[in-house]
Formats: sequence, structure tokens, C-alpha cells
Amino acid sequence: MTTTAPAPSPTVTGDGTTARSRAAGRWRRARWTVLVLSALALTVLVMAVSRPATSTVPYAPDNARPDGARAVAEVLADQGVDVRYVTTVADALGAAGPGSTLLVTPAPYLLGPQADALAGTEADLVVAGADQLLVTAASGDVLERFPATNPPTDPVHPGCDVPAAVAAGTVVLSGGLAARDGVDPDVTLCWPTRDGAVLASVRDGDRDVTLVDDASFLRNDTVLDEGDAALALHLLGTHTELVWLVQDPLDTTTTPGSGPGPTGSMLPPWAGVVGLWALLVVVVAAVWRARRLGPLVAEPLPVVVRASESTRGRARLYRRARSRGHAAAGLRASTAERVARRLGLPRSADPTTLTDAVARATARPAHEVAALLYGPPPTDEAQLTELAHRLDTLESEVHRS
Amino acid sequence: MALTWRAVALAVLGVVPVAVLPVPGTVLVWAIVVVAACALDVALAASPRAVAVRRAVPGSVRRGTPARSELVLTNEAPRRLRALVRDAWPPSVVVDPRSRTAGGPVVAHSGRHRVDLPPGESARVRTPLLPTRRGERTAGPVSIRAYGPLGLAARQASLPVPGRIRVLPEFASRRHLPSRLARLREMDGRAAVQVRGEGTEFDSLREYVVGDDVRSIDWRATARRRDVVVRTWRPERDRRVVVVLDTGRTSAARIGDADVVPGGGDAPGGTADPAPATADAEAPTVGGTRLEASLEAALLLSALADRAGDRVQVLAYDRTLRARVAGASGPRLLPALAEGLATVEPTLLETDWTGLVSQVRTQVTQRALVVLLTTLDPAAVETGLLPVVDRLTRTHQVVVAAVADADLARLRADRTTSTAVYDAAAAARADLERSAVAAVLRQRGAEVVEALPDDLAPRLADTYLALKAAGRL
Repeated sequence: MTTTAPAPSPTVTGDGTTARSRAAGRWRRARWTVLVLSALALTVLVMAVSRPATSTVPYAPDNARPDGARAVAEVLADQGVDVRYVTTVADALGAAGPGSTLLVTPAPYLLGPQADALAGTEADLVVAGADQLLVTAASGDVLERFPATNPPTDPVHPGCDVPAAVAAGTVVLSGGLAARDGVDPDVTLCWPTRDGAVLASVRDGDRDVTLVDDASFLRNDTVLDEGDAALALHLLGTHTELVWLVQDPLDTTTTPGSGPGPTGSMLPPWAGVVGLWALLVVVVAAVWRARRLGPLVAEPLPVVVRASESTRGRARLYRRARSRGHAAAGLRASTAERVARRLGLPRSADPTTLTDAVARATARPAHEVAALLYGPPPTDEAQLTELAHRLDTLESEVHRS
Repeated sequence: MALTWRAVALAVLGVVPVAVLPVPGTVLVWAIVVVAACALDVALAASPRAVAVRRAVPGSVRRGTPARSELVLTNEAPRRLRALVRDAWPPSVVVDPRSRTAGGPVVAHSGRHRVDLPPGESARVRTPLLPTRRGERTAGPVSIRAYGPLGLAARQASLPVPGRIRVLPEFASRRHLPSRLARLREMDGRAAVQVRGEGTEFDSLREYVVGDDVRSIDWRATARRRDVVVRTWRPERDRRVVVVLDTGRTSAARIGDADVVPGGGDAPGGTADPAPATADAEAPTVGGTRLEASLEAALLLSALADRAGDRVQVLAYDRTLRARVAGASGPRLLPALAEGLATVEPTLLETDWTGLVSQVRTQVTQRALVVLLTTLDPAAVETGLLPVVDRLTRTHQVVVAAVADADLARLRADRTTSTAVYDAAAAARADLERSAVAAVLRQRGAEVVEALPDDLAPRLADTYLALKAAGRL
């Protein structure tokens, strides 16, 4: 009856599928997923193509929002200026050469070597909204900058003979530029305000370095105020080539041709390649671990929950309600029942009979037994536990007798 | 298709060209190299679908008995087959179900075999099986992962090879059978000890020996023989015993691992030792339902009653008749019972006691011993059994045998914390309710046996012997 002889089953070859039927099955299973994913990809593609490429980077020439500078860039492009948008110092220096203009928009993350590298360009340099570091470097240490404390309110006349300033006329811009050593023949200051000049033009050999303390003359929302547009077009439209630098915060490059791109610039140059290789390894390892050797074999189980769960539930109800009376009554009744059976008393025996019989069997005083079996309910949990232990003792004494 | 660790190693080797020429193109080229090598390997691998597989398993095996499943694999492809073969079986049949991957499915390493077959050759692999649950178990598919010559990648297929094994009841309670048979022989008067049964059937005459009851002296025969001759009696034979297994929802209850409770004794009478409630919480595939304990009791009682010369039939009933074993006796009884009851599973339905009583009344018309293997759950008994038990006790001797919950016995004895005392109080209350139900059943004329899973079978056998000795069958 234990083990009958092995009964061979029929020989099976293959699973009744062909390459064609397996492919069809895979297609049938995957077609909805493929359909949904391709529809999603198509939607994304259409949206990407139909919308013009704009960015949200402030002062970027392709940003059409109020803080962008697309208006100026478009007008310059219409006038035949080739606007080249770069995000790293290295690219800017690589693109800017003699006979071109390099615009540096506000760059709070510029490093000292980068500022020096920018100052050393051979192109005409236009620095908009620069901090002290770049102002000092770009002007060859003849200018200094004081942060503007009073916001500009009234239009100011240029008061100088820089062509761009003359063309612009009055502007409402904040200023903070001053010559370090008083009057310098190479330095021209325009639009003097209480904090300093708005524009400083430094003649350095055969190139012009122009610093504008307030970059808002480039912004889409303020470019039409007073003479801002004329100032921007005059400064940037001098040459047919304009390199427009909006520095990426992660950019650390200084010399042209170094480093792969803006994001990898903080990491070693080979980091990206190693990352790609690690990705390849991870993908192969995932495919290796993911394939299971055949399907899971399931087994139906009759029931998983234990039968005693209902009793535990009742115990928890007692406990939550602090129903020590009920709990003690249960313990006492159970003990009384077992003791009565042990002593041969009928189930219907009354408390006095039972108490007397137990007292005789255990040689305990009757009142003590009565207090134990029929006493008042315990008032706290310690008493309940003690009662349980004493009932156990009583029961063991009866069983021993 | 499947990859191996070698494919990963090949991908890792890409670090060399990447170090020599650190540009993205290198990685791309290396990825193509890896993919091409794997594709080549897959293309050169033998087809797992060209393997002829035959599975041989024992038709039936007793629970807890080791068995094995044999696979005969024949490589019919023109290429050499290097493969990993998995012979999949349900968790309760595999030998090493405890090797789990963190919370995931069971990985049975005993069911995985490596084969290396030249074209046209065959191999035989054996998977050890150890069934831990009764019932019919169907094997899973045979999965073959055929590696290519480079060992980088493999082709894989799962072949639906039929295979089923019927796990018979363990009949662990058969260890109680010899002592009960000895008691039966004593009752028969065949044993040396003078403990005769109070049977009513006249057996034989023999000489008086000191100690015999003087009331059993046959004076007429004594007068003829000059010696004092006594009559001996023997218990009745050819009585009918009907064992009814309740397979309704209460039989599905998991009542804790009987092995964990040492000693135990007569629940709800004695006090079981508090044992840690570890038990089968981690192994839900192990039996432990009330029906398993009932089955053990039914098998022991049937074996004993058959040896005592009674006619046994076993019914399994919830709302319909699930199984019926009748007419077998002698050496054919136990195999018939094991086969017939192997596939009885608890159903999550309320037992139809009216139908059950009618079923019993159609099966036996004469007086019989009707053993109801069920539970003393107060709600279930009050609505189900109590209203109809009269119809049975009128014509038959009824024994209600109930499996007590080992968990409850543990709970009731636990005094370690105040929480445990509340649990003990609830368990004590449940005990009281059950013993009240038992008292009502006794009033209606039924015998009631309630015991822990391990003790039910011997207790029921003892009750049977006591009834037989008292001539109440």
C-alpha cells in the first residue's frame, strides 16, 4: 500500500509548438503592450516636433519667457548677426575669436580661472550683470563694483560719448561700477547713478570690453523700456558673429576642447563611458537572473488561518474592554468544572457542595476555596494573573489527592 | 532564451577595451559583441523541444514516505545536448521546500539535474520526493534549458509531461493497533489473562479454573462431565460499524501541529504542557487540518473493527457524499480505505446534517455503531447535529468523536503574561462551551470523545473496545 511500482507515462517530445506558433503567441500576449507603448511614443514625438524649441534658462537666446532674451536674439538674427548659444566657458572661448562679440550673461557660479580665461578672449567682450570677480578680471583691474542699494526710478541721461550709450539715450537701470583709481583715460563711464555707473567701457588694445551692471536690458519683459533695446542691439550687433554664453552651473571648463560636455564636466572624462559599460553589465546580469527555470508550480491549500484565531480574537476583546470579570469567571468556571469532574460531582452540583468537596480534598479552609472559586472579580491584571496561578495550584492539589 | 553567468562575465570583460579606448562607441561595439556571441550560442544550442521525455512516478505513495520521480531524457536532436533539467513538483511533494529565496517562491534544488547527452543517447534522472500532504498531486512541466557550446546562453522550453502522484493517508496511528488488538484478544478469551468480555454471544465450554466467575458455571454440562465446566462468552461479531467523516467547513480548520503538544491527554480534561507555538506557521503546506486527525482515527478504528470481525464502512460527507468505502474486509480493507480517502479534501461548506443522517440510514438499516468524526464547535453543533442526532440514536449506537485544537490547549495553559492569561480565559470559556455541548449530546444518547489530534485515534479505539466489551454494539 505504501509504494506501487513506477507507472511510466507516455513519452513527450516538444510542447506542441512551432517557431511560428510561439512567435504568434508572443505577439498575441504582447500586442496590447506594444500598441499602448507605441501610441505613447508617437504622442510624445508629435508634441516634441510641433512645439518650437524653447528653454527656461534665464537670459538664454531661445527662452521666450519674461526672463529670457529671445527677443534680442531674434532681432539680431534678423539683422544678419550669427548668434551662437553656448553654455560652457570652453565652448565660448572656442567660438569667440577676433572680429566677433562674446556676451557673458550673469554667471554666479563662475570660477576665478574661468573669469580670467574669459577676460583673455580676443573678441569684443560684453559682460552683463557681472559680479566683482568678473568685473575685476574683465576690466584688467581698473574697475570695481558696488552692489546697487537704490533701485532705479527715474530715467538717466548717458553723459558720455560711447556710441551705444548715445544711441540708447535715457535708461532706467541700476548701476554700481566705478573706476578704481579715479579717472582713467581708457575707461568711460556712462549713466552715472547714486551708486555708480550703469555702463563702463574699457578700451583694451584693439578690442572693446563693455560692462553693463544691470543685465535686465536683455530680458524679454524689460527690453522695450526706454533705450534698452537700442543699447542691446548696439552692443551685440557690432560684429556679424555673436557668442552668447549662459553658463551651466556644473561647468568647470576653462580651455577650449577640454571635457566632453556640461554635465560630465565635474567628473573625470572617462566616467560617462564607464557608466555606459556598467549599464551594459547590469542589463546582462538582469537578463541572467530574470529568467526562471520553468513556471511556478502552485498547490491549493484548504485553509491558511488557524482555528484558534477566533479564541484569540475573543481574548483580545476581553483585554481591550479590560473585562477582568469575564476573564476571571471563565477561568474559575473552567477550573470548577474540571475539579468537579475529578471529584465525581455532577455538573449540576451547587457551589456549596463543590466548595466543601474541594476543601475536603485539598485540606484547605472552605472559605478560602470559596473565595478562590466564587470570590469577587479581580481589580487589575496582576490580580487576574495571580488568580490564574492560584486556580492552577488548587487544581493540581485536587488532582494529586 | 536564457543567459548564464558567463554572459555577464563577457560583459564585464568589456572593461579592457573601454580602458584602452574610452569613448561611448567602444561600449556600443562591446554590447554588439556580447549580443552576437549570445545569439551565436543560442543558434548552436540543441533544441530543448527535440528531447523525448518520459516521466515515471509511483501511482500512490503514503504520506511521509520517500518516493522518486524518474525522467528518461532522449536527445533526438543532431547536436550534443548540455542542459539543466527541472522536474517540477508542488511544494508539499519536494524534498527541500525550506530553501527559500528571501520571501520568494520555493526553489527545489533536488529537482534540478544537469545532463550532457550526445545525439541519440538517453539519460535517466531521479528526483527525490517526500509528500507531506495527502491528496492527488499533479506534477508541473519538465523545463529544459539547453546551453550552447560556449555556455553563454541557452534555449529553454517547458514541456507538459504528465505526471501525478496520489498521496495516501499516513496512518501514523497504526502504532496503536497492536496494543488494541491485544486487548481485543483478551476480550475474546483467547489470551492467557482472565479478562473476559461481557459479550452476549456464547462461545464455548471449558473447565473451571480458580478465579472464574461462579455465575458462569454451566451446571448442566458440569453434571454430564463430572468436572466443573464454565461457559465462555465472546464479543459479538459481524456488527456494523459506520464511520462518517464530516468534510464540511469545520474540518478545514487548522488545529495546530499535534506533534508539538507533548503528552496532552484528555482534553478538555487534562492540562497540556505549554509548548512554543512555532509549529507549522512557517510550513503552510504541511497538513494539520482537523480532517487529517479524523482520517487517522477513522483508519485505526476501521482496522481494529475489521480484526474484531465487524463490517466497516466509511463515508465522507458534507453536502453530498464525497467518498464511500464499503464491502472490503481483511487485507483488502486498508488499501481500499487509503485509496478511497486519499483525495477527500475539506470543503468550505456548512455540513448538511439532515442529509448526512439520511445517508447513514440508507446505508445501514440494522443497528450499527455510527461514529461521527466532526467537531464540538458549539455554533456548528447546535444548528447542525443536535436537531438530528435523535434520529440516529434511536436505532444506532452513536459516537461523536471530535478533534480538539492543540493550539487552544496551549493557550489555556499559558500563564506567562497578563495577555496570555486573557487568552487562557478565552480558551477556558471555549472549553466550557464545548463541554456543555458534549453534555447535551450525551443526554441524547451519544457517546462523546474529544481529544487532541494525536490522541483521538487511540481514544476512539478505546471507546470502541469499551462499547464492544459492554455489549453495546
